[in-house]
Amino acid sequence: MMTFLKSKNAILLFFLIALIVIFAALSGGGTLRPSNIINILQSITIVSLLTIGAGTLMIAGEIDLSLGGIGTMSSFVAALLLKQGVPWFAALVAAVAVGAFIGLINGFLVNELGFQSFIATLATASITTGAGYIFTSGLAVTIEDPTFRFIGNKLLFGYIPFSVLIAIIALIVYAMLLNKTKFGRSVYLVGGNRVAARLGGLKPKKVLYGLFINAGALAALAGTLLASKLLVANTVGITSSQFAGLTAAILGGISFGGGTGGMGGAIIGIMVLSCFNNGMTMVNIPPYWQTVASGALLLAAITLDFVTTSRRNKSEVKA
Amino acid sequence: MNISRLKRAFGSNYLALIAVTAAVSLLFYILNHDFLALDNIKNIMNAMSFTGTITVGMALLLIAGEVDLASGAEACFGGIVCAIAIQAGLPWPLALVAALAFGACCGFINAFFVNVVHIMGFICTLGILGIYNGLVSVVTDNHPVPAYVPSFWKLGSATVFGIFPLPFVIMVVLMVAYGLVLTRTNFGRNIFMIGGNRRAARLCGINPSRIVTALYVNNGMLAALAGVILTARMHNASPMAASTGAIDAITAAVLGGISFLGGVGGMGGCFIGILLITVFSAGLTAIGLPSYWQIVAQGAILVFALSADFFNSKARRKRLERDEIKRRREFARNKEES
Amino acid sequence: MKNRLEFSNITKAFPGIVALSEVSFCADSGHITALLGENGAGKSTLLKILSGDIKADSGEVLLDGEAQNFKVPSDALRGGISVIYQERQMVASLSVMENIFAGELPHNKFGVINYKKLRKEAQELIDLFELPLDARMTVGRLSVAQQQMVEIMRAYRRNSDVIAFDEPTASLADTEITILFRLIKELARQGKIVIYVSHRMAEIFQITDKIIVLKDGKKVADFQTGETDEPTLVKAMVGREIGDTFNKLSRCTERGDTVLEVKNLTTKKVTDISLTLRSGEIVGLAGLVGAGRTELARAIFGADKVESGEIVIEGRSTRYKNPSGALACGVALCPEDRKEEGLVLSRSIRQNITVSVLSRIRKFIFLDNAKEKKLSDIAVEKYDIKTPSTGKLVGELSGGNQQKVILGRATNELMATKVLILDEPTKGIDVGSKAEIYQIICDFAKSGMGVIVISSELPEVLNISDTIYVMANGKITGVLSREEASEEHVLELAMAGQ
Repeated sequence: MMTFLKSKNAILLFFLIALIVIFAALSGGGTLRPSNIINILQSITIVSLLTIGAGTLMIAGEIDLSLGGIGTMSSFVAALLLKQGVPWFAALVAAVAVGAFIGLINGFLVNELGFQSFIATLATASITTGAGYIFTSGLAVTIEDPTFRFIGNKLLFGYIPFSVLIAIIALIVYAMLLNKTKFGRSVYLVGGNRVAARLGGLKPKKVLYGLFINAGALAALAGTLLASKLLVANTVGITSSQFAGLTAAILGGISFGGGTGGMGGAIIGIMVLSCFNNGMTMVNIPPYWQTVASGALLLAAITLDFVTTSRRNKSEVKA
Repeated sequence: MNISRLKRAFGSNYLALIAVTAAVSLLFYILNHDFLALDNIKNIMNAMSFTGTITVGMALLLIAGEVDLASGAEACFGGIVCAIAIQAGLPWPLALVAALAFGACCGFINAFFVNVVHIMGFICTLGILGIYNGLVSVVTDNHPVPAYVPSFWKLGSATVFGIFPLPFVIMVVLMVAYGLVLTRTNFGRNIFMIGGNRRAARLCGINPSRIVTALYVNNGMLAALAGVILTARMHNASPMAASTGAIDAITAAVLGGISFLGGVGGMGGCFIGILLITVFSAGLTAIGLPSYWQIVAQGAILVFALSADFFNSKARRKRLERDEIKRRREFARNKEES
Repeated sequence: MKNRLEFSNITKAFPGIVALSEVSFCADSGHITALLGENGAGKSTLLKILSGDIKADSGEVLLDGEAQNFKVPSDALRGGISVIYQERQMVASLSVMENIFAGELPHNKFGVINYKKLRKEAQELIDLFELPLDARMTVGRLSVAQQQMVEIMRAYRRNSDVIAFDEPTASLADTEITILFRLIKELARQGKIVIYVSHRMAEIFQITDKIIVLKDGKKVADFQTGETDEPTLVKAMVGREIGDTFNKLSRCTERGDTVLEVKNLTTKKVTDISLTLRSGEIVGLAGLVGAGRTELARAIFGADKVESGEIVIEGRSTRYKNPSGALACGVALCPEDRKEEGLVLSRSIRQNITVSVLSRIRKFIFLDNAKEKKLSDIAVEKYDIKTPSTGKLVGELSGGNQQKVILGRATNELMATKVLILDEPTKGIDVGSKAEIYQIICDFAKSGMGVIVISSELPEVLNISDTIYVMANGKITGVLSREEASEEHVLELAMAGQ
């Protein structure tokens, strides 16, 4: 119990509660209204999918900056297919497949061509963002398929957005994957010490391919979900949320050094971020200041992470 | 000036790059005869100047093994600071200085995070990029800031010898100047040392932190300058101005032979790199492809450039290894015979 | 110009080992002083103290009677001491002259480099030593030998009074060695104090004036080169009390079928290796640093690419290309560098032990926590790993316990290991734990495994192995049984072909 209280997650949880309280007070209870909570839940869904993808890669020691571009591009793919009369299931699968494919390319660049992951994914980010524009000539595409609209907007019992179910399932599945499967364990081991993992019989390249493809697929799903919610796929799309995934992961204790962190912390990080963003809107902070705050939050999260990691490393060396 | 130094100043693939640029230009000319018209060439030169000025600062950072992903935003911000200063009544040269000072501050902030907090350059400048993007929108309310001072506009529209736009000339002058610093001064050589083998550099008495700080500050100022010149050309400072500035600069530098790992490269190569990507994107516009094709092209070119870099160094390493093995086997054989 | 370098009562201890114990000797200007000793004798530690990389626990380094106090390596450089290591300390993309004058290129007050002057001075230096170099060449294109020459030029240009060489001829061809020796002799002629660390007898007799022999951290002999010979030196280097440790071991005396056969194996680093290992046998790989033993181990384990040759496990020819494949065939490796290559320090003991058998502790798709805990508990008990729980992070364990975790990883019951390769299993481990590990190794053999032990400590490899393969320069230079082997013989074979 004591170790939990002193752990990073506990501090974050505390911060989360404080955040909720402060924003509730500042907004005169507005943040606690049901309609607002629905908003928060919906944004949590999107962020969760991005965070899972980015977070798992970070545990393995890599970074993916192309998730926003992938999300946008996939949402266009889905929307355009729907317009052609393709059944909703096929459109969804196609979108996710596209995301997975881009992830495969990312993996290829990093594994076979030796690119550093940040520059490789920066490049694919350009390509996917641009490709999205190309498909649609810059125009937004409305989504009229009823199932899609349902997935994006239906409220269960009048309160809970359907998409939240998807997020919850995803978080549980990936938490189990990371903690209880061979693949999940490999992710941690490869991130902790890639050379030792290889000499121990694991296959780092395979793990990275899996993670990049996974992140791409999840980002595609997230982008499509967002488009379903908004009823339209546009070029802004998910591109603005991609740093959210990264920030939430880092906030949630997934260290950029690789090899530590988990879904538990990530969930708290996601909630902190979503409440933070939502709270700023409810308190009427002008939108551009919100962007600044988000960037500052990322920087603060990184700084905090580095400071605590290096202190941890120093004590390891002494032992 | 001997051949090997010239070669080093240009980076190893300059001939191939010039060939590709020529081929690409030819291709676009065939598709649209206006491509090589004087007006269009002037456009190309203008477009080059923005990215090019940013690239100069970025190149120095890359050679030292660092990077600044926020350069584009810094450029944008620099232009805005200048425009605001002009609106406040400052004569434009002073506004320019204000922008440069602002850029220098950006550089200091970056250097702080890299040197003191020991965060890797790319992740901290990523965060800072987000902050600056937001601040830019806050400050301008997402509207372009007008800079209505005709004498200022000359900065963007004057021509040298009647043909070369001033921004282009400024870029070339900067490249030559910094190129000379890189190849002919102690400071420049020290930059190579830090990027090539930081430990050895420290052992030789070089202070990496101080040099890295200088480079980030320099980069900030050059980015701000690029933004100011763009503002002069456009007659206003737009918050949309520089979304891909940093990536373009990195692409151009890597194309021009600057290795991502540091310690290699030169200004001449950068020039050709910028030329190539600008020609390419101008060509795409000339044949009627909308601007978003260019975003894709940037990404694709970056992948291409880095792959080429990878294969080059792999081939080089293989060649060296093969030579070593050959020598060692011969050595062993000689020993056995004797 | 300094005249005398003196080491006075230098002592340095690391956890579990005394690296240097009251070492005292001096080296004079104009002379080349050799530091001779086998692996682990203390030569590199002494050099690190000289160069300011580490600090001695007690004792002093004196230049002309003045005690030197180096806090960081650059202090030593400024104090006039240059050490030329085996790893090159240069910037490959710059030219020879820029590397020679690194950090202090001749420039005017604006910082502009005077290239003409730089080239002239650099070339003068190169010509002074009659080296086949052009000052403008890019260092990256030079051969290893030539790069070494550039580094020596740099040390000379710094006006270092003391220039120390650490195994300089390791990667050099005959002709290059000749040039190097001329260079070194010229340095001495110019009045420098030259220290030459090596284990190659022939060379030591060729160029040195004085020989200091280190053994187990102590100075055991101090000869004038002209007044001694090879057998005397070898005798001084070896011959030590092993005590009862090895006599008390309970060994495996039965030999089974051949588990491993290596046929004409060639990789980038080793040539034409052939080796046989039987069940119940312990084969030792002896040799000096750089002989290629670890490289051979890695090749057998699939960690490095094999160019030609065959690896046969229990009669079946194998084609694995990575460690995963090797493990599937029953070959396991415990790497030399525990922390960098053998363990994931940020994970628990349990997770490190089960790295290689994750597929086998599954229940459907999930990892069976109970099975995992049971497996690691067994390992902890079997190897007596001192820890309150298997959930403890491996990074917090002592060296000996970390080694045991690696052993547990390589030999747990789910592995069915047939061939076990141990690379420096007792490195950095205290004497008490060493004895434990020796017995554990014998028990491996008794259980039917074939074991390959790589060790740089001669008594260790001599006494634990049943058969000893000696390597030098990437090749096998001799095969001896434990009964017929002696330290001198092995050392000679290890230095053969130098």
